[in-house]
Amino acid sequence: MEAYTAWTGSRRFAFKSTFEKYGIYIFLIILFIFASFVSPAFLQPQNLKDVLHQAAALGIVAIGQTFVILGGRGGLDLSVASVMATVAVIIAKNTGGQNELLLPVALVCVLFGLLVGLANGLLVTKRKVPPFMATLGMMIIIEGFRFIYTKGAPKGDFPPILRFLGRGDLGPIPVSVLSLAALTAIAVIILRKTLFGRQLYAVGGNIHTAYLSGYNADVILTITYMASGLTAVIAGMYLAGWIGIADNWVGKGYELDSIAAVVMGGTSFEGGQGGVLGTIAGVLIIMMIYNLILLLHLPIQVQYIVKGAVIILAASFYVRRSST
Amino acid sequence: MRKVTAFLVVTMFFCTLTVAALAEERQFSRSYLWDSNAVVMQDMTKYKKNPPYTIGFSNASISNSWRVFMDREVRAEAEKHKDLIKTLYVTDAQDKPDKQIGDTEDLVAKGCDLIILSAATMAALDPIATRIHKQGIPIVCLDRRVKSDNFTSFVTASNFTQGRMMMLWLCQMLKGKGNIVMLPGMAGAGPAEERIIGAKEILSQFPDVKVLDMQYTSWSPSEGKRIMAAMIQSFGNKIEGVWCDSGLQGSGAIEALQEAGLKVPITGEDLNAYLTRVQKYEFPAMSIGFPVKMGAEAVRTSLKVLQGIPVPFIVNVTRKVLTTVDTADVKSDQPWDTMAHPEWPGDWWIDNTLPQNWLPK
Repeated sequence: MEAYTAWTGSRRFAFKSTFEKYGIYIFLIILFIFASFVSPAFLQPQNLKDVLHQAAALGIVAIGQTFVILGGRGGLDLSVASVMATVAVIIAKNTGGQNELLLPVALVCVLFGLLVGLANGLLVTKRKVPPFMATLGMMIIIEGFRFIYTKGAPKGDFPPILRFLGRGDLGPIPVSVLSLAALTAIAVIILRKTLFGRQLYAVGGNIHTAYLSGYNADVILTITYMASGLTAVIAGMYLAGWIGIADNWVGKGYELDSIAAVVMGGTSFEGGQGGVLGTIAGVLIIMMIYNLILLLHLPIQVQYIVKGAVIILAASFYVRRSST
Repeated sequence: MRKVTAFLVVTMFFCTLTVAALAEERQFSRSYLWDSNAVVMQDMTKYKKNPPYTIGFSNASISNSWRVFMDREVRAEAEKHKDLIKTLYVTDAQDKPDKQIGDTEDLVAKGCDLIILSAATMAALDPIATRIHKQGIPIVCLDRRVKSDNFTSFVTASNFTQGRMMMLWLCQMLKGKGNIVMLPGMAGAGPAEERIIGAKEILSQFPDVKVLDMQYTSWSPSEGKRIMAAMIQSFGNKIEGVWCDSGLQGSGAIEALQEAGLKVPITGEDLNAYLTRVQKYEFPAMSIGFPVKMGAEAVRTSLKVLQGIPVPFIVNVTRKVLTTVDTADVKSDQPWDTMAHPEWPGDWWIDNTLPQNWLPK
């Protein structure tokens, strides 16, 4: 009897831990099967390609967001959408649609993203400003500067290379998806194989222990905000390439969508738990929900209700997991 | 002497030609020309004041390029009348009705002789507009009015007309039979809902034109593209026409259609990105403007009010209709390529009256 209990107990334990570990991927597969079942259009190759195209920019920005949230202490970055839109208008205005100007202008944008991240990081670590307030303030400041810069009506055009990156294909696969895959692989390697990755998990898990281990938590957290600024720049470029219009609101809503994707993907707001692969699964879920609602001809406002419900479900699932 | 006379005659001839070329032919609004009722002019003698005037412009926001252009039209026109307008105060409510109520109260406190109000929402700004109106300060509503009639004049272009014209062109392009999708602007926003009402009035007269789906796009190019792409996957070649109530989502939707190789009739407005993409991708298309120049018209109407000159309760500004293909009832005012400017920014609204130095640069 004892042996039986031990056997069933361990099976239950194994099932539970498997479910907890891979819950988001299981949900993604279930959603995929459900979507294919309820809407025949969902499985069409072009539709899947559209979903992936649209997922690329959100996925890229969510990678940086994962780094910030992994660092713990309520870390999040609300300034990402503002950075994305600013990058779009800077590129349009300064390249004027010329390929040869893309690289220098893109480098300026990267510098801009890193500086925004540095400012966010210093505010959070040195001035102890809560991340929500620091990045919210930064978001509004960048918005203000953007409106001064564009005088409300952005001008210019995007170079053909950027348009190719945003909407072109290499064989059957969108270029933006290949880029997302490459960035995801880099992020996974950084988190799992480098000293910085280990330190980040340690700082996020328990900052005091990390401090006692000799890790410089402030530097590590500041780097996460800089990483977020960098990915926001890259995502802004891809999204601008996809739309092809210099708009003051490119990336609007991506700050909350990226946080939602990270939380859905199992990265804990308390820090130190989770990773990038879960986030990418979260991004795919969000984009599939958006797509499915349109394919089912439901009013688009329903997407907010469904997305909100999925976030609450995911968050409550992970809270339960961490408390058991 | 003869040489001098000849020189003077030639000079006068060329001067006359130049003046004739510079003098713009005055345009009149279609809705005015076709209105079966006589326009009732309102007596403004009670508001008559001696210049110079202080005018307040309470703007709902400058959150998109249309609103930025409209805001500039107001400022540029006020600058043209420097002799009459001493000060123009401008506020930006950032789309927040509560902030706009405070902004408008501030303008009254600053002693403005007249308030130009572009209301964030019809209902929220109604009480403050009513109070100011009752105090005897004239209010000229611009682009968006308040719910009650407690204002002096409303400068606008009819959204109902816009919705009707767009749908009429589309239905006639389809020869009264076919499937369309509707991509309106923002759910709940007055202009979007009024354009849908206008469009549905026309649709009811074309029973064989079916709406496959209608989805709001928040007047966003990226939403326009994303939603159009999903609809293409859902309905494929069944889509025979696309009704967009603005060039904003229209510019995104047309790209999704082009990528899918679906060249169907589409509607939009005078946003340069939309006009140039129609031209580039050679789509059958229609555009009717909701002109930003209504900002300048609001200033001119305000000056009439303060000078005691009668004005109508509703002032409809002139608007341009463009088509790449004319239908029985919807014909182009001028060739499409005279309005589409690939060398100009996509976010520019073409039917504007801004002087060069006022264009956003």
